[in-house]
Amino acid sequence: MPTDERSAVEPLLGFADALPAAASADASAPATMLHLLTFALDREEFGIPVTQVREVIRVNGITRVPQVPAHVRGVTNLRGRILAVVEIRTRLGLAEAVVTPTSRIVVVEVRGRALGLLVDRVSQVTKVPVESVAPPPEEVVTAETDFLTGVARWDSRLIMLLDLDKVLLLNA
Amino acid sequence: MKSEENPFGDLLQDYIVECLPLAEQVGDAFVELERRWRAGEPGEELLASVKGRLHTIKGNSAMMGLTPIRDVAHALEDACGFLGRFPASRGDDAAALLVAGGGLLVDLVGNASPETDGGPAADFVERVRSFLGVAPEAAAPERDRRQGDRRSRPSSGDADAASNVVRIDFRRLDAMLEVLGEGLIQHSALVDVYRRLLRRVGASEELGELDLTVLSLQKTLTRLESTLMETRLLPVSTVFGRFPRMVRDVAHAEGKKVRLEVTGGDTSLDKAVLDRLSEPLLHLLSNSVAHGLELPEDRVKAGKPAEGLLRLQAAAVSGRVAIRVSDDGRGLDEAAIRAKAEALGVDTRTADTAQLHDLVFVAGLSTADRVTTLSGRGMGLDVVANVIHALGGTIEVESRPGKGTGFTLSLPVTLAIVRSLIVEVDRERYAVPLSHVAETVRAEPEAIRQINNQGVTQWRGDIIHVADAGAVLGTQEPSQAPRPFYVVMTAGAKRRGLLVDRLIGHQDIVVKGLDPALGRPAVVSGTTILGDGRVACILDVVRILDGAGHAN
Repeated sequence: MPTDERSAVEPLLGFADALPAAASADASAPATMLHLLTFALDREEFGIPVTQVREVIRVNGITRVPQVPAHVRGVTNLRGRILAVVEIRTRLGLAEAVVTPTSRIVVVEVRGRALGLLVDRVSQVTKVPVESVAPPPEEVVTAETDFLTGVARWDSRLIMLLDLDKVLLLNA
Repeated sequence: MKSEENPFGDLLQDYIVECLPLAEQVGDAFVELERRWRAGEPGEELLASVKGRLHTIKGNSAMMGLTPIRDVAHALEDACGFLGRFPASRGDDAAALLVAGGGLLVDLVGNASPETDGGPAADFVERVRSFLGVAPEAAAPERDRRQGDRRSRPSSGDADAASNVVRIDFRRLDAMLEVLGEGLIQHSALVDVYRRLLRRVGASEELGELDLTVLSLQKTLTRLESTLMETRLLPVSTVFGRFPRMVRDVAHAEGKKVRLEVTGGDTSLDKAVLDRLSEPLLHLLSNSVAHGLELPEDRVKAGKPAEGLLRLQAAAVSGRVAIRVSDDGRGLDEAAIRAKAEALGVDTRTADTAQLHDLVFVAGLSTADRVTTLSGRGMGLDVVANVIHALGGTIEVESRPGKGTGFTLSLPVTLAIVRSLIVEVDRERYAVPLSHVAETVRAEPEAIRQINNQGVTQWRGDIIHVADAGAVLGTQEPSQAPRPFYVVMTAGAKRRGLLVDRLIGHQDIVVKGLDPALGRPAVVSGTTILGDGRVACILDVVRILDGAGHAN
């Protein structure tokens, strides 16, 4: 399902390209849109560029692997391939995920490698204007601010933009 | 190799695949020839045997436009022809020329590319010319004429056999194996459904038919599996082929006289295993030459023949392949091992001879005295042991002072499909390769005693340790009921029981690697997908027996 949505949207922008544009954008410039896949962890909404998302799958058994780095939940079977699943909640300082019927694994591609992110619920693919993105608020210094590239306020929503490279740099 | 950018990449790869073994055989033959001439034997048939190979290399190189390689092959052909006609010219000089040419040929073919530097080839051709006493101008026209002659010669009987042989990229075999793996998984899923159906609706004629069909599907898959596995197997001689020249080079450098005796070259191993075996074997061999075998004069003093005997043996032993590297040299220096172990803080006072010998595989102990560098590629015995363990194999050493040292490797025939015992521990399933399982035993609580916080039991008359799988894997939950079974795992001489919750059954599993994101867990060697689609970890028995585990 998300694959279809992804193919429906026009050429997409990564954060790296979009953020400098946001800084220099003035009111007369045409709005540049960010295409995000958003998902929920607890009651907060997070977004990652759809360009980095391969697909979203249901949780169908995650096998624990002994002696793996912290924040690796285990491995799962993705059509005959073994996919490592990252416990993104503990990475962001939240409690370990409890798998529920709404839980999903977001399969992302980081540096050419596929990894799964275990999330509580996937919302949708959203477009937000680049102008709506602000740097992470400095007064809220939690574990997660390190992993944010910015915060989008749009349509009465607050979407935290995750820096996947940083979140998934597991050995750091 | 670089087939994407280079349209000739595939062709070049084919060329190397075909010609490198030929070049290596030529190189080996020259090394053997040198030994025979020194021993006063003629070696006529060796000279004759290399000619066809040189001719093929020459023809293929010419076709690929690899002129330097063509010239070297041609010069060697000329030299062999000359030495065949004039036995009086045979000797150390001639042998050195041939061995050098063989080595050059292997290097050139192995690294063949259109940009190959023609310098070394031209130098060698010059050397051959001066050896043969032929002026460059005089040789050239004759050479062209002969080349034309041979090309028009009718093909030999080999061509018929060759027409049934297809070269195939090994990656395609890997891809086929993946597909077979999916088939095996789907078969297990069918068996699952059948059983549930049988429970739900009871036996019926249709279900009986389904059962039979699933059974014959299993037989078909098994046949497919064994055919595919056979395709992946290569004789160990494909790797052994490089060794005679390397051994000769090390022997020369060390001033040793060595005879390498190779047996069991037709023993087969999965190419994936073979590829990773070459370096460790090479190291063991050069190690024996450099440190095991004595200098000729010392050997004579000790009442041994001046020429040391180095043996490389391979044999299929009960579903595995045993490879042995042994020498008739001085044996391990126990005093030196002891001294170095003490220096590293290892207490060797209570160690028996076997335990002392095993210390050569310990990092830091093996590197200083027992390591040798072969053209810059040094590798400690600890690294050798690690590679062998990573392949699911074991390595053992035995040695007698003054008599020699032997290293025995036991290796699985393949890494791709492993018959395994599936067990359950704390609701997760794990695969234990059957080659490492001696027995599964019902664990009677009173039969397992705790000594120094370690479970100990009697098994086949021996006392063995019994570890809790939950403790090893880090899944143990507090206040747990005792686990009802233990699996006796073995690797080499080591054995240990592993307490588990359930024994699920035997299954052929297709080994999948570990994602780099998982780091390098010591107790797991890989993963696999079970019949229900779940992933299971494959336990690394060798490392668990070495004491790897959550607690450590």
